Amino acid sequence: MTEAAKGSRAAGIPGLVRGLAATARTLARPTHTSEYPDAPPSLPPRSRGVIALLAENCTSCMLCARECPDWCIYIDSHKETVPATTPGGRDRQRNVLDRFAIDFSLCMYCGICVEVCPFDALFWSPEFEYAELDIRELLHERDRLGQWMATVPPPPALDERSADPAEVSALGKPARAPRAPRQAAAEEGQA
Amino acid sequence: MGQTGEVTTTDGPRELTVGMGAGGLATADMVLNIGPQHPATHGVLRLRIVVDGERIITAEPVVGYMHRGAEKLFEVRDYRQIIVLANRHDWLSAFANELGVVLGVEQMLGLEVPERAVWARTLLAELNRVLNHLMFLGSYPLELGAITPIFYAFREREELQAVMEEASGGRMHYMFNRVGGLKEDLPAGWLDRVTHAVRAVRGRLPDLEALISGNEILEARTRGIGLLSPEAVAAYGVSGPIARASGVDMDLRRDAPYLAYPELFAPGGPGRVVTRTAGDCLARLEVLLEQVHVSLDLADACVERMRSLPQGPVNVRLPKVLKVPEGDLYTATENPLGFNGYYLVSRGEKTPWRLKLRSASFNNIGVLRELLPGALISDMVAILGSTFFVVGDIDK
Amino acid sequence: MATVDLPLPRLGVGAETAPRPIKVVLNWGRRYSLWVFNFGLACCAIEFIAASMARHDFIRLGVIPFAPGPRQADLMVVSGTVTDKMAPAVRRLYDQMPEPKYVISFGACSNSGGPYWDSYCVTKGVDTVVPVDVYVPGCPPRPEALLQGIIKLQEKIASESLSSKGMRAKYGGHRAATAAEVTRPLVAPPTREVVGG
Repeated sequence: MTEAAKGSRAAGIPGLVRGLAATARTLARPTHTSEYPDAPPSLPPRSRGVIALLAENCTSCMLCARECPDWCIYIDSHKETVPATTPGGRDRQRNVLDRFAIDFSLCMYCGICVEVCPFDALFWSPEFEYAELDIRELLHERDRLGQWMATVPPPPALDERSADPAEVSALGKPARAPRAPRQAAAEEGQA
Repeated sequence: MGQTGEVTTTDGPRELTVGMGAGGLATADMVLNIGPQHPATHGVLRLRIVVDGERIITAEPVVGYMHRGAEKLFEVRDYRQIIVLANRHDWLSAFANELGVVLGVEQMLGLEVPERAVWARTLLAELNRVLNHLMFLGSYPLELGAITPIFYAFREREELQAVMEEASGGRMHYMFNRVGGLKEDLPAGWLDRVTHAVRAVRGRLPDLEALISGNEILEARTRGIGLLSPEAVAAYGVSGPIARASGVDMDLRRDAPYLAYPELFAPGGPGRVVTRTAGDCLARLEVLLEQVHVSLDLADACVERMRSLPQGPVNVRLPKVLKVPEGDLYTATENPLGFNGYYLVSRGEKTPWRLKLRSASFNNIGVLRELLPGALISDMVAILGSTFFVVGDIDK
Repeated sequence: MATVDLPLPRLGVGAETAPRPIKVVLNWGRRYSLWVFNFGLACCAIEFIAASMARHDFIRLGVIPFAPGPRQADLMVVSGTVTDKMAPAVRRLYDQMPEPKYVISFGACSNSGGPYWDSYCVTKGVDTVVPVDVYVPGCPPRPEALLQGIIKLQEKIASESLSSKGMRAKYGGHRAATAAEVTRPLVAPPTREVVGG
């Protein structure tokens, strides 16, 4: 109990009356109800609502599917051979994404997939309006995940005391020393 | 109710005839099951009590209705994935739960966490403590029949949840800790919004207090009810606000400090351990209420400190595959509800060999076996609610 | 134990032949007075409570959280992890609700087991126990997501057919309870044998 509370009791005001006074004060104040269906809530950019997929960036590396704590990401891909562009060049292989699906009935919204994606193909969107009548509809395929991309907000600016991004701190470093003589490099490599 | 007036005037033992041929007040022991789905158990705790008339003779909490096997699941998940599951057992103090895991792993790795991360973690942990306590400050009076306080409590919760969500992206399960620091840095201007939210909550807290503290009805229901002795606290391993309400002056933030608590709980610092000596339901509620104030002060101190820290990172770079060296370690933290411990046994793999969870509520409801016998059925809800438990924390 | 099949829900002749406007009015009434019974099990229950509080306030949508028990409720919101130990109780309470009844599965755990899908003691979705009308995804979903789920349910109720056929399609099938299921006692623990006594 705080000093204020003790003080007012000493003044002889019964607790019930003080409680009613608090209620009366609140009654006089405006409500804080948010009128959800009519007024959409303003959500912070980091809010974890739904995962959006930018399929062009996905290389089907499977990192997200592997790191997911309940393994709710399904990826199918196949290899395609890209013929050489220059005469005498080598044919290249690249992965083509066939299927990318997230089961939102299983997803625990931890954000590990977004965090581990090395190619920035996954993003959080604050959208939350996707309740379904059938559980099978909660398995969102690639096109549905792609539609969420439009709702992805830009990331917030970071705190002024945050460390510089890696790109900036790399710029600030002194230029790399000129390459050491071949002999020294070889020794270093052995060590 | 008209008969009660007549009864008080008669002398000696009075006889009351119950109209079912019961023949006086001859009572027999009766076994009564409360729960698993009962509004007063907020969650799915089941109590099996034996009553003689209205008096409880024995009480036994039957646990396991919310057992989700988290400890077993920890063993097949790497340390980042464990954080996700770990914050779900005590769903009201998710941040504090995450903290225990990462502190343990960091200690076993011998990892130094950047200073900004330490202070940010402390700040978030204290805000989480306020969120947890506000929930109980709302729900406990609700169980006693006062519906109003919970509206006030949830208003403040929404205020704080908004800042927590802005930083971490989650309203309840923050998933903001990582081994070596935090997931990412705080958004610009967030500290100002924390100050604002803390000020708003502190400003409106007297409203909630006016409804709870000093309320005659609430005091009549809780004063002298459910007396818990310091001996029982020690015998059952009770911890947290419940233990402190019985005069057991014990708080890991001060006694075995982690994070930035050594500085905050140093003499002259804003941290202090709230204790009461009465040990009844009212004392437990008062401890909770005062802890909210202390935690808000601590949050303010953390914000102040964070403003003066030099620029720096909030996490350290770690290898992609994190393996904890072989060994074992017990990490205890002061969760909002009491001691929360993780016993981590690693065999050098990227998953723990065993991660045992010591949760606060499990021990705290064990003491119901002592608290309830002798009490009236009508006081059962008051006693049950005052042990401030989270069912997921009991059953894991 | 012999099981007795419960009769499938059936409506009177009046309902079958009622003119369309009456059905619309009936559905409208059901839609906006959903007395809700919160089957609060875990984390999601806290967000359910948050949705019932002043900030989100689902009474605005006609959802009334004061149902004293399942027997006086129209809507059950299963919020949280359903464990195998708890599942019989969920079914029991569902069976106690009067028809027409609706179920919202709130959060990943009750949708499909969610974070605990590979646990040995968690039911893989409450829809293995009771029929579910609306699934709200999230872990836990934010209160607004519950409101959206409720709106979705209300749309479903509005377009519901009132014929016995429609009712049977909803409650019938393999998930219908038998009388034995409704009345059977909970599984008794194994009796302890006295050793050396």
